[in-house]
Amino acid sequence: MARHITSVLARLYLALILVFLYLPIVIMMTMAFNTSPLYEFPFEFNLIWFKALISNERLLLSSLNSLMIALANTLVATVLGTMAALGLNRYEFRARPLLELLLLPPITIPWLIIGVSMLIFFYWTGIGRGLHSILLGHVALSLPYVIIVVGTRLKTYGPTLEEAAATLGAKPSQAFWRVTFPVLAPSIMAAALFAFAVSFDQFVISYFLAPPGVSTLPVEIYTSIRKGFTPEINAISTLIILVSMGIMLVVARYYRFGGER
Amino acid sequence: MSRVDLEHVSKRYAAVAALHDVSLSFRDGEFFGLLGPSGSGKTTLLRAIAGFVEPDEGSISFDGRRVENVPVHKRQIGMVFQNYALFPNLTVAANIAFGLSVRRVTGAEAGRQVSEMLELVRLTGLNERKPRELSGGQQQRVALARALVTRPKVLLLDEPLGALDRRLRQEMQVELKDIQRETGVTTIFVTHDQEEALTLSDRIAIIDQGRLMQMGQPREIYERPATIFAAQFLGDANIFTGKRENDVLILPGGERIHAPGTAATVVVRPEKMRVFAASRAVPDEASNRIEGHITQAVYSGASVTYHIRVAWRVDRPLLVFAQNLKGEVLTPETSVTVAWSPEHTVPVET
Amino acid sequence: MGGAAVRQYRGIIALTAPAYLWLALTVFLPLSAMVYFSFLTQAPIGGRAAEWTPAHYIAFFTKEVYWRNAWRSFELGIYVTSLCLLFAYPAALILAKHVKGRWREALFLLVILPFWSNALVRTFSWTMVLRGDVGLLFTYWAIVIGLIHAYLPYAILTCYISLQSIDDTLIEAARSLGASPVQAFLRLTLPLSTPGIVAGVILIFVPVIGSFMEPRILGGKNAIMLGPLIENQFTAVFNWPLGAALSFIILAIVLLILLAASPFLRRQLQ
Repeated sequence: MARHITSVLARLYLALILVFLYLPIVIMMTMAFNTSPLYEFPFEFNLIWFKALISNERLLLSSLNSLMIALANTLVATVLGTMAALGLNRYEFRARPLLELLLLPPITIPWLIIGVSMLIFFYWTGIGRGLHSILLGHVALSLPYVIIVVGTRLKTYGPTLEEAAATLGAKPSQAFWRVTFPVLAPSIMAAALFAFAVSFDQFVISYFLAPPGVSTLPVEIYTSIRKGFTPEINAISTLIILVSMGIMLVVARYYRFGGER
Repeated sequence: MSRVDLEHVSKRYAAVAALHDVSLSFRDGEFFGLLGPSGSGKTTLLRAIAGFVEPDEGSISFDGRRVENVPVHKRQIGMVFQNYALFPNLTVAANIAFGLSVRRVTGAEAGRQVSEMLELVRLTGLNERKPRELSGGQQQRVALARALVTRPKVLLLDEPLGALDRRLRQEMQVELKDIQRETGVTTIFVTHDQEEALTLSDRIAIIDQGRLMQMGQPREIYERPATIFAAQFLGDANIFTGKRENDVLILPGGERIHAPGTAATVVVRPEKMRVFAASRAVPDEASNRIEGHITQAVYSGASVTYHIRVAWRVDRPLLVFAQNLKGEVLTPETSVTVAWSPEHTVPVET
Repeated sequence: MGGAAVRQYRGIIALTAPAYLWLALTVFLPLSAMVYFSFLTQAPIGGRAAEWTPAHYIAFFTKEVYWRNAWRSFELGIYVTSLCLLFAYPAALILAKHVKGRWREALFLLVILPFWSNALVRTFSWTMVLRGDVGLLFTYWAIVIGLIHAYLPYAILTCYISLQSIDDTLIEAARSLGASPVQAFLRLTLPLSTPGIVAGVILIFVPVIGSFMEPRILGGKNAIMLGPLIENQFTAVFNWPLGAALSFIILAIVLLILLAASPFLRRQLQ
């Protein structure tokens, strides 16, 4: 009897947690489809705010910027990160723990601090602000994730696969392309999607490195929020959240979190 | 098929000597076992032959040609790893054909050789399976086929049967031996299982702490171990230490046993000893005798293992293996005489 | 060192250099630059001269307003971290031990998903909920709620990983020795899951004390914390060296926390 009650309570608790997590998102999405520009009930389905997006040039331009940067970021971070993961995990060498440790700062130090320091450094060295600086910043944030994701898979399989290929006569490059790469492919894919999401959703760094007049979508949303509510923000936010959740669902299919399997 | 020679090979990792001045020759076509406890350096030795480990000193030669500077993929070896290392994204056939494809053998010819190999390891028909769909024993055979299809000069096996259960191990041991005889390839395998080493090898080398302890045919090493380590690692041993008086060794209990040689420590194998209850007569040729009483009689069907307590031997009982000739088992507390003939008293270094 | 070893090292360098050089250029050098900056009188840009001064740090330690900001950030960190873990641990426990099979994976995914979506948008969505009649918008508690919402999945994740790695047979052994479920939990499960809790504490506390987006959006004028204060120095007041100094102080705290807990973190990473 007691077990039954605890079971029910447990499920209830989880349900409450899920409600808490999804409530604001659901409300925001509801408002995006609501006619009222003041977020007031009663609810009347309408697509006007989505339609308004199309004519909002600033939002469109910043979305384009976000997309371009995210794609460039994905390419650079995935390639560089995969290479680094290979270098780190193929052999044991003394400096390895140190190098692995160096991956922690970009993901544990608050973005505010990283953003501020980038701003200072880029100004000082003449790199300045701009889309290129934002790209520099995003890749820096994505690299550790790529390296860890790909590296974990490499650790699981160990160097034995490449060793086996070598005993069968394969040159190191052959061994990589014919054995290691196919085995790594799912995690490289997951890492790439990860990198895309990290860049597309990134706000803080973009905020500091964006010059006046140029921005990414999150920055644009932020300035609109600061200026005052506009219902189009709801619409674009709904779209963004659906996109980033969608990406993450795909990643989850390739790469399991929570240490299972 | 190659001869492999190691001369004064040494390897250190930080301050630890993984291999210390090891010199060994592997004859063309023989099935050679590297036996030793974990951490003894036997795997390091195997990997040095493969080329994954570069020796700090010494030379390794295949058929007289030195190979220390030859990279792994050019050494023409075949290797079966402990975890098989089958390529998970390739089918069984593609795995086996891998070595061929690297040598530009593809298409029908490759298919023919793959089928030949599958037949050799008795896995015909499993071409299209993926490694994860196979059992442990099947994976092991695929790994073997993959290593053999390229007709390597040397076949290296790293604890190949470690992951299999007992019955499968015994089956695979027989098959491995058959396959090796058929292909004639020089085979060097690493194991910590002394029974496996004894049954499979033409010759064995015992390695401990990076050093070559003893090498020779299984029978040689088993009957005449050179050290206490070899005696205890390869089978069970009764060890006696005493005072020398020419060719007699005086044991702590006063017993005088005839022991050839000059060593103060000798080893007698349990199956060489016989147990006689007080009433029975002891044959003359079994002239080395010790009195004691039985503490345990372990009946295992074909044989009985007696644990015998000798008054002055406090640390461990005497072990005697008795063939179950008459279906009689002596009971604990029985006083007995343990006897064996002097020629089975083996002097050892400590 | 033999030929093969040299080849290995060259290979490693060739593979890892690009990524690490990028990190050096965009993270490590800038952080050093920031530290250097914090000791200057003014930003040495546009031809202005600057002298070395510890004035900004002295100001931090002496002026009350800065202390108050720092304290509020710290306080916020403590509230958010403890509340997060309080709510997260039971959820993680339930997921790890009570739910089985496909449900577990699906629920886990549902819990983690919001965390990996756009943080800005999620914070914004809270403004929808807290405004108007609810009346909580632009209060301190709005910030707390928003931050808990942001980091709760993270806390559940770290606790879950830790709990899930506890072998069920250990609990069974404890029960067979006479321990009640509660005893088994307190004496076995809880202690064994501390790495997850510690990881959660660090991975929540650190970003929270350095956050500025959530305080600004949800707290409005009530966002009197280090994060927004630092942001101000760079976007409104243009006192970059002061901003750099304050940032470095946060960085130093972060590094100290990481150092103190590095044994725990290393275990989690594996």
